This record gives sequence, structure tokens and C-alpha cells, in this order.
Amino acid sequence: MEKPSLLPLLDARLPLTEEGVAEAARLAGVPLAQAWGVVRYYPRYRGLPQGRLLVDDPVARARGFARLLEGADGTHPPLGLEALSPIHVRIEGRERYVEHQGHRVPFQEFRLPFHLGRGERLLPPEPILDLEAYRRRGGLEGLKGLLEGRLSPVGLIQAVEEAGLLGRGGAAFPTHIKMRAVAQGAPPKYLVVNADESEPGNFKDRFLLEHHPYLVLEGALLAALATGASRVFLYVRDEFEAAIQGLEKAIAELKEAGRLPVPTEVFRSGGLYICGEETALLESMEGKRAEPRLKPPFPVEKGLWGRPTLVQNVETLANLPLILKEGPGTWRQKEPKLFSISGDVARPGLYELPLGTPLEDAVRMAGGEPGELRAVLLGGAAGVFTRELTFPLRYRERLPLGAGAIVAFGQGVDLWEVLLGLVEFFREESCGKCFPCPLGTAVQVEMVRRRERSKALVQDLAQTLKGSLCGLGQSAYWAYQSLLEVEGAA
Amino acid sequence: MRLKVNGRQVEAKEGTLLLDLVEVPTLCHHHHTETKGLCRLCLVEVNGRLLPACATQAQEGMEVRTDTEDLKALRRTLLEWLALSTDLSQAPALLELLEAHQGQPQRWGSLPVTRREREPIRDNPFFLRDYAKCVNCRRCVDACGDGIMGVYALTLEDRGLLAHPTTPLDRPLPGTPCVFCGNCVQVCPTGALRPLSMEV
Ligand code: SF4
Ligand code: SF4
Ligand code: SF4
Ligand code: FES
Repeated sequence: MEKPSLLPLLDARLPLTEEGVAEAARLAGVPLAQAWGVVRYYPRYRGLPQGRLLVDDPVARARGFARLLEGADGTHPPLGLEALSPIHVRIEGRERYVEHQGHRVPFQEFRLPFHLGRGERLLPPEPILDLEAYRRRGGLEGLKGLLEGRLSPVGLIQAVEEAGLLGRGGAAFPTHIKMRAVAQGAPPKYLVVNADESEPGNFKDRFLLEHHPYLVLEGALLAALATGASRVFLYVRDEFEAAIQGLEKAIAELKEAGRLPVPTEVFRSGGLYICGEETALLESMEGKRAEPRLKPPFPVEKGLWGRPTLVQNVETLANLPLILKEGPGTWRQKEPKLFSISGDVARPGLYELPLGTPLEDAVRMAGGEPGELRAVLLGGAAGVFTRELTFPLRYRERLPLGAGAIVAFGQGVDLWEVLLGLVEFFREESCGKCFPCPLGTAVQVEMVRRRERSKALVQDLAQTLKGSLCGLGQSAYWAYQSLLEVEGAA
Repeated sequence: MRLKVNGRQVEAKEGTLLLDLVEVPTLCHHHHTETKGLCRLCLVEVNGRLLPACATQAQEGMEVRTDTEDLKALRRTLLEWLALSTDLSQAPALLELLEAHQGQPQRWGSLPVTRREREPIRDNPFFLRDYAKCVNCRRCVDACGDGIMGVYALTLEDRGLLAHPTTPLDRPLPGTPCVFCGNCVQVCPTGALRPLSMEV
């Protein structure tokens, strides 16, 4: 049954004292042991690192990480700022600032400064930050159609099926199958928007949340109505302050305009990479340590508080209004996908490209010279290095697209340094619930430090990590294995 | 209901755990606790997918493999990593398993941070909490909480390799709801929790 969630209760008592933790546990109706396990899990309850921190990402690693680190007190996990590098975050008590190119901006005012890059696009290129502007561009029409009965919930799911929309969070699971499963479940049911993007090299969801909050909300409301969900939660990465404020303003405006058919609220994420794993995300919403659950049961049967729950990525949902607007057939022909392109390219940023675009064209579009690159990291931390750039960017093609990160590395880059950053990321972000992942990611860091190339060892490492409980451990060796392949091909 | 295990036809009742049909090592699973699917030592291949035998029910027509080269490599490696990072000196069953799988932990080099550095906690007259030997199977936490006692004197601390049990507010056990029932000691597979009477 639904209970007051522990995380917001703890948030309200920061900085935490023993009495504060005990009080939060009492109000949430959970044993003190559970609350303490939560406090000892999430960095923001344990106390944030203070000082000037270098955002540790593949691009920083490629640009003399060690030297950049000298002027810093430590590192900060990626924030979707990689395209701008190098970036520092300053944390002073509870105040946080972003430092880049000589400017210091409070966290809550910082938005990704670039606009949508060229390419064929369905998304408006300019930010749309108020309801009137959104309406002027034809927004809310899909929602109106559904509320006025011109479109049925079944019809909407059918349109999603005809469009062939695959989940944009990385797993590429057919969206309509999840929607239909939740639609068939017994109420109460929930919709959770997974807005916890925290992977190095990826900044597309952050961009959508900051620049197109109405589109994201309309998509979420459409999905909620189609599945019969009685509440919508936006699980937003805690660090995306500007996005959280923008979403809250947009929710209030929609409510005011009588266009919020389902109660909708923002839930501040636990602030860890693993919080984006859909079952870990649900655990944290339920006031527990964000650790993945064993599946089955899947969230569509037993999700939030044991109820059928649709968990969907931001970009996936943002496509629902676009599918209705374009018509599923046209949308399917254009098959838009957002790619975060960064690294050694002249115009790093976000690009909307049709699926099927060759990787080299994507790199070129962002001002990169495919012929002059050492390698491209495709898919983020849970991604692969490749030198072969002619294949089409498409799901279930040769290499995994992940959430759509493309990081280009020029000739001067030591890819082992970049890899070290990636494997350290996995070691830091391992939740520690199952056995292969915390052990294997720790062993892996040492292997990469000594530039271990033994086939037998790497093979056994991969084989064992494959047996991990969730995707984090299961993909932790991809970059390593692929770098050895890239080296072999060089 | 019928399924195949390593190519052999097997009869089973609907809902039987795969673990009851196959011979695989286990560590996190215990018949008195709800812990399962964590250690991954009991993984088997079902129609090409890796699934924990301790948390998977048999189904009509399943093709289960327990002895592929990949699975052998996985178990051996996992045991090696455990031996590398954790003090298994009070876990004879695990040491035997490591030997049976011809494990060579040294082949991985050394880990700068391991579980071995933890000091034993002597905070009560009955048992020792020696987390240098803890593999984080969580059997004790479950036994104390949801699984058996409903007392909630144990919870978890930290993440990744350093995750391990602790008490609420990190208090000494006598300052928690602990009733010294000994269930946690009973279910601990590694000697991380062991009666003080066993200490010399
Ligand atoms: S694979 Fe890693 S992150 Fe996933 S459950 Fe296991 S320890 Fe946690
Ligand atoms: S001895 Fe104490 S900590 Fe152990 S199970 Fe019993 S009550 Fe829990
Ligand atoms: S103390 Fe023992 S039972 Fe508890 S998690 Fe560690 S190894 Fe498992
Ligand atoms: S015994 Fe099955 S996963 Fe641990």
C-alpha cells in the first residue's frame, strides 16, 4: 500500500541528525534499520563531498584528466555537460555551483546552453518554456483528442504500435507492449517517467526536460490516460535543478489551464547512476536503497508499491505527441532519435537524426572528421569503442546504441585513460547487491590500470560480469572488450 | 510437466525450483531466509539465458544447462574473486568449492581495496561480527528482519564492494532492538558472525 516516501522526508531534514533520521522513519512508518540503510546508501544523506570538483567524464579523461584534476578537490559524476568540457562543480555546504569557461552559475540556473543541432527534426529547435508558446506550435492537440474522445486509449496504444516506437532509455523494448500490459492490469496503476539520466556522454533527456517540459508532460499524460494510471511521477535526477523547477512550473500551468487530467508530481531522484535502472528507481521511490529487484515479476505487473507501473524514459514519452501529430506512418518513416554528440567534434551538442543514419554522417554533422579519429565511443559508459564508422545507427544493428551517446576521440587521445574513467565509474556506481558486479568492477579497474591484455582473463571477466543481476554489471566490460578489439584492428 | 536438464528428460511438479532439480553450488540462498538471486553461483542456462536456479521455477519445455564451459568459467572466477577480496578462512565449504573448481585467485593480481581490512566488532557477549569475512549475502539481515525475527536490528551500509551489514545508527548491538536470538549467526555461511565461545 502507498505510504509517505522516506526520501522526501529525509530531504526535508538535511543535514541529517540521528533524531532527524528517526523522525523520518517514524513518519514513513518504516523500521529505523531501513531508514539507516538508506542514509548509508545515498551520497546526499551521507554528506556531499565539499569543494571544487572536476566533472569526470570521457571527454575530460581525453583532455589531460590528471592535469585538470590538479586544480580540483575531487571528482563529480557526469552531469550531461560533457559537450562543454572541462566543467567543475563547486559544493559549499548545501549550495552548489557550476563552473565553466570562467563563469560560475548556481545549479538551479544552469541549463544546457546549446540548441538542437541540425538534421531532420520533429522537435522544435528552440526551447518552449510556456504553455502559450507550446499551444501556438500545435501542442496539447493529442491530449485534447484523448480527453474529448476523438482518440481512445486503445487507439493511442495502437498508434504507438504502428509507429514501432522502441524505448529510448537504452533497452529498446517495444513501448506498446509495456503500455498494453499496464493497460490490462487492475487499478490502482502508476506511470513513472524515468528522468534519471546520469551516464557519461548522454545529455538528451536533460535537454528535453530543460527545453521542452510541456512536450515531456503531454507525452506522460497521454501514456497515463492510455494505461489507466492514476498518478504520474517524474523521477528526475536530483542535480537537474533547472529542469525540476521548469517541470514544476509547467505542471502548475497545465493544472491552471484545466489540462492536467492525472495528478502529476516531481520526485527527486536518489542521485546515483543505478537509480535509472527501472526497478532500483521504484525501490528508491518506496523509500529503500536503490537496488535492482529480481525480475520477474516485471514492473508492468508489480511495480510501485506492488501495483502495475509503466516506467518510461523521457525521450520515449516525448515522442507520443509527435507520433499523434505526424501520424504513426510518417513518424515511422522519419524515426527520429536524439544523439548526444561530444568529444573531438567542432560543434558538440544534441542532434535529432533519423535512425539508420550512418555513424560517420552523425560525426560529420557535428563537425567531426571521421577519417581523423582514433575511435568513437558509442552508447556511453555502457557502450563500445569502434573504429568502424560506416554502419547505420539503428537498434539491433551491429553495435548497441544505448541511449544515443556518441563521443569522438582524436588521434592524440590515450583511449586507455578514457577507459580507466569508464571502469572507475562502474566500480563507483555498483550498488553491491549481487556478487559478480562489485567484485568484477573492482578487479576490472586494476586490470585496466595495468593495461591487461590477456585474452583468457578478459574473457573470464566478461563471462562472469554477464551473470550480474542487472544491466549495470552486465555491460560493465563492453568498453574494455571493445577497446581490445579496436587495438587489434589498428 | 517435463523439461530437459543437460539434455536429459526430467519430470517435475509445476512450480518446483530449478535448484531442486539440478546440482549447482549455492551461497546466498537459505531455506529459512528469503535471500536469493544475489551470489549468482547457482546460475544455469535456460534456453540461452542465465537464470539463478534458486529463484527460478521449472516450466514445461525448459532446456536447462548447468555445465557449459561459460558457466564453469563463471563459477570459478566468482569463487576466485571472493577469495581475493574476502577472508574465507572460516568458510571451509567455500574453500572446498574453490579447490574443486581449480580456482587460482592470484591470477587476477591484487586488489588495493578489499573487505579484509575490517576490524572485528566485539560489542556483545554472545557473538562476533567480523565483516572481513562477510560476502554480503544478506542472510543475516533478512533473518533479523522480514525473514524470521521481524526485529530489524540489522541493515546495510555502503555500496559496491564495501557494502556490508551494520546496525541502525551504527549502534553497538545491545543498543539496538536485538534480542540475541542467534538466528543471524545460524544462517551466516562464512563465519563472519560466529559465537564467541568458538574463539580461542
Ligand atoms: S549488477 Fe551491480 S548494480 Fe546491478 S544489482 Fe548487481 S551489484 Fe547492483
Ligand atoms: S541475534 Fe540480534 S541481530 Fe541476530 S537475528 Fe537475533 S535479533 Fe537479529
Ligand atoms: S555477516 Fe554472514 S550472513 Fe551476514 S551478510 Fe555477511 S556473510 Fe552473509
Ligand atoms: S544461491 Fe542462487 S544466486 Fe545465490
